[in-house]
Amino acid sequence: MTLLRQLLAAAAIFACASGAVLAQDKELVVGSSATYRPFAFENPNKEIVGYDIDIIRAVAQKAGLKIKIVNTPWTGIFAALNNGDVDLIISGVTINDKRRQSYDFSAPYFEARQLIAVPTGSTAKGLKDLAGKKIAVVNASTGDDTASREFGKTNPDIRRFENTPTIISELANGGVDAAIGDNGVIAFRVQEHKNLKTVDDPSFPKEYFGIVVKQGNKALLDRINAGLAAVKADGSYAQIHRKWFLTDAPALPAK
Amino acid sequence: MEAVLWFGWFRADIIAEYAALFWRGLQMTIGLTVICILQGTLLGLALGLARLADARHSPARELCRFGLRWPATVYVSFFRGTPLFVQILLIHFAAMPLFVHPTDGLLVSGEAARELKQNYGAFLTGVVALTLNSGAYISEVFRAGIQSIDRGQIEAARSLGMSYGRTMYHVVLPQAFRRMLPPLGNNAIALLKDSSLVSAIGLAELAYAARTVAGAYGRYWEPYLTISLMYWVLTLGLAYVVRHLEARYGRGDTR
Repeated sequence: MTLLRQLLAAAAIFACASGAVLAQDKELVVGSSATYRPFAFENPNKEIVGYDIDIIRAVAQKAGLKIKIVNTPWTGIFAALNNGDVDLIISGVTINDKRRQSYDFSAPYFEARQLIAVPTGSTAKGLKDLAGKKIAVVNASTGDDTASREFGKTNPDIRRFENTPTIISELANGGVDAAIGDNGVIAFRVQEHKNLKTVDDPSFPKEYFGIVVKQGNKALLDRINAGLAAVKADGSYAQIHRKWFLTDAPALPAK
Repeated sequence: MEAVLWFGWFRADIIAEYAALFWRGLQMTIGLTVICILQGTLLGLALGLARLADARHSPARELCRFGLRWPATVYVSFFRGTPLFVQILLIHFAAMPLFVHPTDGLLVSGEAARELKQNYGAFLTGVVALTLNSGAYISEVFRAGIQSIDRGQIEAARSLGMSYGRTMYHVVLPQAFRRMLPPLGNNAIALLKDSSLVSAIGLAELAYAARTVAGAYGRYWEPYLTISLMYWVLTLGLAYVVRHLEARYGRGDTR
């Protein structure tokens, strides 16, 4: 009996130890495109900071994962995940069905909506009013999908750029009539330009940001989800949300 | 749309879906390249002559030196010494808004500026950036070509009473042009390929079409292989034209 107990204990210790070794040894590379203030951006000390970064650090801590954050340009970010250059992505990625076909998503960590930016003189009330107007979007973003669905994906009036600051600059310089992007970033950028305002189209659906892993990487996804649940439960999610957006955090669905 | 697989690997349907974008992209790339080759060659000729300007007596001597040679040298040094990609961003997001802006453009302002920027903004930047850049490279080709003509020919022409302009036009440039054709062809091919950089400012040329498709589907072989082949065919065509010109203008050399 004692022998059996000793064996079991030894096995338990070994299992724990090997599990811990696995988690500690492999530093996970997190890809994030740091041109997405306030979600992820480089501060003057070249560190990547922002809402996404705070969230992933908190999740990693709860889940006992070691992570390294690497600034990965948005254009190549999914390719980097496919190639194995990064193990997971947290970069304001909206969860949608098309992406679900190719990647696996964690539970939501942010409630996002699309927001339209226009010059202050514009009378546009929503997406429909932008018919025939030139619209700047970030290539392959949800804003791109929204505009492409409404006006046709090969429509030359849709101008695709690399990141949100450039679409706002293009709008502020008069190169387009409107820009469509994620609420957090658009609202933040529009504050910087006094000749711009935001238009909230009530027909835009609620969307959620999720952490992305390679399709089928269930082991990692489960640990991330467990960590994320803990981050939401102990109030760190609410605290991080208030820190970056100065508003109370909306409740997020568990799936 | 139904997935169409070629060789069990190439998703031809996604190229077909965006065919309009690729077709317009091809036209844009060709148009941009042709315009910039012509303008760049003229600018290069002017700069090349400016770099060689000299006079025997004051004050024309000083005028040539400070008014022509130095500015041309600084210009060539800047445009060859900085990345084209940086020049494109600098011109589009910094210099253009200074000159063409709906509220306070130095050259064009108001509704005209809005019209211009919205319809031709990125194209204009592309033409300006590629012309200025290739002009710098081509000026070196002209300078080298002109300097390669034996000084004795110039002296002979001048002592026959021909003016500097007539010497250049009738004696030096026809011979120099023959020698300059191969490097000029090289420059034209480089220009064609460099035009892909303009996709960063949302000009819908070939690389932009590929980037849009890659972003929408997260697939990279299909769009980038497609435009690689298109660029390749275009450069083969250019090389053919250059070879033809060499044969045509080189006739005088072979007896």
